[in-house]
Amino acid sequence: MSALLNDPDAPNRGLTSGQMAFYRFRRNPLAIIGAIIVISVILAAIFAPWLAPSPESAGSFVDFRNRHAPPSWDHPMGTDNVGRDVLSRVIYGYRVSLGLVLGVLGFAVPFGVVLGLAAGYFGGWTETLIMRFTDIMLALPPLAMALAITAVLSPNLINAMIAITLLWWTWHTRLIYRIVKAQMNEDYVEAARVAGASDVHILFRELLPNCVSAVAVKISLDAGFVILFGAALSFLGLGVQPPTPDLGTMVATGSEYMPEMWWQAVMPGLAILYAILGFNLLGDGLRDMLDVEL
Amino acid sequence: MFSYLLRRAITLLLVLLGLAILIFVIARIVPGDPARIALGPLATADQVTELRAEMGLDAAFPVQLWTYLTGLAQGDLGKSLLTSRPVMDDIRAALPATFELVLFTVVLQIVVSIPLGVMAAVYRNTWVDNVLRVVSLIGVVTPGFVLAILLQLVAAHYLGFFPVTGRLDGSIDFSADITGLLVVDGVLAGRFDVVLDAARHLFLPSIALAAAGIGQVMRITRTAMIEVAGRDFIEASRAYGIPERVVTFRYMLRVASVAPLTILGLEFASLIGNAFIVEFVFSWPGIASYGVRTILQKDLNAVIGVVLVSGLFFVVANLTIDLLLGLLDPRHRIRAARDR
Amino acid sequence: MSRLLDIQDLCIGFSAYGQHRRVLHHVNMHVEEGERVSLIGQSGSGKTVTMRTIIGTLPMPPGKVEQGSIHYAGQSLLDLARAERNALKGTGISIVLQDPMLSFNPVLTIGRQMDDIIRYADIRSGRRRPKAERRAQMVETLRKVQLKDSGRVLDSYPVMLSGGMRQRVLIGMALLNKPRLLIADEPGTALDVTTQAEILALLNTLVAKEGLSLLLITHNLGVVREMADRVYVMERGHIVESGPRDDIFDAPDHPYTRRLMAAVPPLYGHKVKTVTHTGPGDMVAVEGVSKDFLTRGGWLNRVTGQFRAVRDVTLNVARGDVFGVAGESGSGKTTLAKMILGLTSPSAGEIRLDGRPVSDFAGTRDFRKLIQIVYQNPGSSLNRRRTVADQLAVPLKFTGQDRAAITRRIGELLTLVDLPQAYASMYPHELSGGQKQRVAIARALSVNPRILVLDEPTSALDVLVQSTVIDLLNRLRDEFDLTYIFISHDLSLMRNFCNRVAVMLRGEVVETGPVADIFDAPRHPYTRALLSAIPVISPEEDARKPPVTEAERAKVLATSTELED
Repeated sequence: MSALLNDPDAPNRGLTSGQMAFYRFRRNPLAIIGAIIVISVILAAIFAPWLAPSPESAGSFVDFRNRHAPPSWDHPMGTDNVGRDVLSRVIYGYRVSLGLVLGVLGFAVPFGVVLGLAAGYFGGWTETLIMRFTDIMLALPPLAMALAITAVLSPNLINAMIAITLLWWTWHTRLIYRIVKAQMNEDYVEAARVAGASDVHILFRELLPNCVSAVAVKISLDAGFVILFGAALSFLGLGVQPPTPDLGTMVATGSEYMPEMWWQAVMPGLAILYAILGFNLLGDGLRDMLDVEL
Repeated sequence: MFSYLLRRAITLLLVLLGLAILIFVIARIVPGDPARIALGPLATADQVTELRAEMGLDAAFPVQLWTYLTGLAQGDLGKSLLTSRPVMDDIRAALPATFELVLFTVVLQIVVSIPLGVMAAVYRNTWVDNVLRVVSLIGVVTPGFVLAILLQLVAAHYLGFFPVTGRLDGSIDFSADITGLLVVDGVLAGRFDVVLDAARHLFLPSIALAAAGIGQVMRITRTAMIEVAGRDFIEASRAYGIPERVVTFRYMLRVASVAPLTILGLEFASLIGNAFIVEFVFSWPGIASYGVRTILQKDLNAVIGVVLVSGLFFVVANLTIDLLLGLLDPRHRIRAARDR
Repeated sequence: MSRLLDIQDLCIGFSAYGQHRRVLHHVNMHVEEGERVSLIGQSGSGKTVTMRTIIGTLPMPPGKVEQGSIHYAGQSLLDLARAERNALKGTGISIVLQDPMLSFNPVLTIGRQMDDIIRYADIRSGRRRPKAERRAQMVETLRKVQLKDSGRVLDSYPVMLSGGMRQRVLIGMALLNKPRLLIADEPGTALDVTTQAEILALLNTLVAKEGLSLLLITHNLGVVREMADRVYVMERGHIVESGPRDDIFDAPDHPYTRRLMAAVPPLYGHKVKTVTHTGPGDMVAVEGVSKDFLTRGGWLNRVTGQFRAVRDVTLNVARGDVFGVAGESGSGKTTLAKMILGLTSPSAGEIRLDGRPVSDFAGTRDFRKLIQIVYQNPGSSLNRRRTVADQLAVPLKFTGQDRAAITRRIGELLTLVDLPQAYASMYPHELSGGQKQRVAIARALSVNPRILVLDEPTSALDVLVQSTVIDLLNRLRDEFDLTYIFISHDLSLMRNFCNRVAVMLRGEVVETGPVADIFDAPRHPYTRALLSAIPVISPEEDARKPPVTEAERAKVLATSTELED
């Protein structure tokens, strides 16, 4: 399709790019499903106290008469080894997951973007320094690094957040660096310089707008992977600590009761999958819609 | 070509040196005294002082760094607090298992994802493409540990044929001394019972490990193929009467394979990361299992060693891919030759 | 004579984004055996769709043949089975695509690509030949396209060949299986004019010697005049006029054809407008300027060599001049412009603007109010993520104007370049190429500079749009007493737009003077070679081109037939 659009003979005249983007989005039911999933997860996290059938299950509540209850009308996802409602814990678990996403991306994205802009625009020593450092950081196996950091710092949500943030910015630096390098071949950058524009203006008013759609797509895809990453940390016992309801911890604990009481591990596992799937579908949809390559 | 290789090798060493320094600095600037962390809150002040001296922690920071780097150059990573053996020995013992698993996984990824990606591109926007899209999506979004547990559940209770823990059945008496890779050494020793059993053991962990990468690489292959399909020289080949099959596999795939291979290299770091989980779940006696155990014990020397070795894996994998790209694309080679 | 290719009542539509649009309307055309036919059209006219439909590479869907037929040697192409249709590719009908840089597979050697073409044609026709025989056929074909040293060419990868050589190899590839009809899409357009002339001559020779029929697709009327027996003119999917070449060129009938002809700047003759105006005093003085670039590589990016892009250039541009700097790619004209703009400093020599050395005040507000630039491609020089108003505001903001003044000035500027006020809030992609270039001109003028550097400002535009932009530039020059430095490879345009020109070759100015002198009595062999290579649209112009001997040409032009070491 893109070859056709580049062809000057291609008959796409008469549509604005906004209309084309909307057309692509509308023709992509998966993207709409993704958006719906993401919205449902966000709403669940925000309104957890009102939505959860038994909010007290989020804490260290114990109900031994009801432990290991299979899914039923009372407990749609069953109960765990101390009788807490799994559904309620999943809903609260989304709070933890999304908090992690906000914390990580809130720091990593701006930091990574600014470094990428600077490396691509200034070149020379700035570029060498930033990009070599990024290369080294990329050579660190992220999960191993995060494990090591949280283990030494003592495992909890904040430290997990710090560890993931320390590793996450590199991807944004790389992405932005690549885009800016390509943009530097365009005449508009030199034109702005001839017009007397300052470096700050060129970086943030001229170059940044050309990175926005790629970053938007990346953030959407990232959100899912941060959730996955956090869950993996807790699964190994190095993330969020009990009794805070965390999806990864729930899978780890639940897997001890596999396979007979499968719901205790599988339900939170599916809940993680559901959220990641939503962010991925949304990200893919945005990618098609905004026509960016990552 | 030779000078190109040499330059790449030197860049590689520099990255590794940077990595070593970075890891050391991180390990030292994290709050807390490594000796205290290692001994736990119940240790006495004397014990801590003693361990500090033993670990060389009372020297000045640059001295510590220098001691560490010179030790590293001689292959000395210090002693593990967990096993009381040199970290290097522990790693040497655990490395082949991980190497075998990772190698198997990467081969699986290439063999599965590139053909499927090509197929998705050839049949793009048909039901084939849609089915493959869902498959790749499932691979990408399923967390490694969830997949690992599900595979264990299914395999243990319904399939039975695939074992869910370890590298080799306890009843088989065999030690891999040549390469350390059971499958390879089994072939070399003519022990096909070993080869079969080792392959059976590899099957589930490598699927759990490969799934995410397969999804990614499939998608990248598809995109790259579609992009290349729109280039002028493809239209020219068609117009000169080259059959469609040859256009797809010789003309498009060779150019398009650059992107998936690059991604495979970059994703290698997360592959090693995921190996931590997969080895943990499948009790695979590799370096990641060792890593998880030592991390839980706050065994700093061992942790540094494990992270360094993982970094080495990544860097070497990327160098390999770079050379592969050079073989695939003459522009790499020509540029390298011109630089001389 | 019989009709080799016969297109009857062809209609083609496209579906995209849920809309259906017809792009070819009832096209009738034919090519006789041994005939050279040209299809003329500007971008978007439908000429590429026509070509793709004939050769069978039009993607369907989204394309769809709605009605009509294409016959090749009596066979109905659209009704043939796929295998029969494929059997004609390369052996019956073959093509030469537009861009020799993009038409090769970059990862396979030339020999490998040519071998595939022969081998699969053999397989289709049930023939088997040993490899050596196929190689002999390749060598033979490369000889036909006048390439020397065919063995080394066959072992080369495409990146190792120059543009001219690639174009020759590309033609060779199309001829490998001895087709009867050759379709050439803008041959040589991507190359320098002197190389283009060689390629066109080669095609004419091949048609005569090999008994080929040629369908040439182009927007360049000069090329058509040299390459066609008969002509079709296409506008927005309609054939608006057709006939023998001389009829069309001597007496164009359709208004569109007449407009096209009128828009082509004449190189010689009574239609040429000679510009003579000039003012007092030097606006730009370039004295003994050189620029060296260091080539780096090897260990730690060491300096491995030096490349002199501009060599000892001395020029004076008077107030009110439209000073043309002519040259082909790599001649150093853009580097010279960047030094005048203070974007890069000369390695030797000095440049003064309005009496002040550039090195003293480059980058200051005064400097920006003195000189600005309009780039070649407005698609690149305008930021596609910012509105027209945002972009026009940049130079104003950085000369310290307040918001109200900026808004007012943006309104004035749009009026100045004949754009409606509503365009202020639009993004570049909502504008046509010519409109974008007007915005770029408005931006350059926003701070009232006195000198404008025009870097090929019309080369990305269609010829009809080009003439309106040139008119605008002329009007602005008169209105604001501007001085232009006009960088271009298009000498015909320069003849009618500039009052003085300098011709550059490999970093040096080989000739400079008033425009009429240079064009009527060129002294340097390179200038003569350049002028004689330009495809023109009347015999009158052809007759007045300067003579140039083979020896002179060989001395000043790079070869496109031999590999360099």
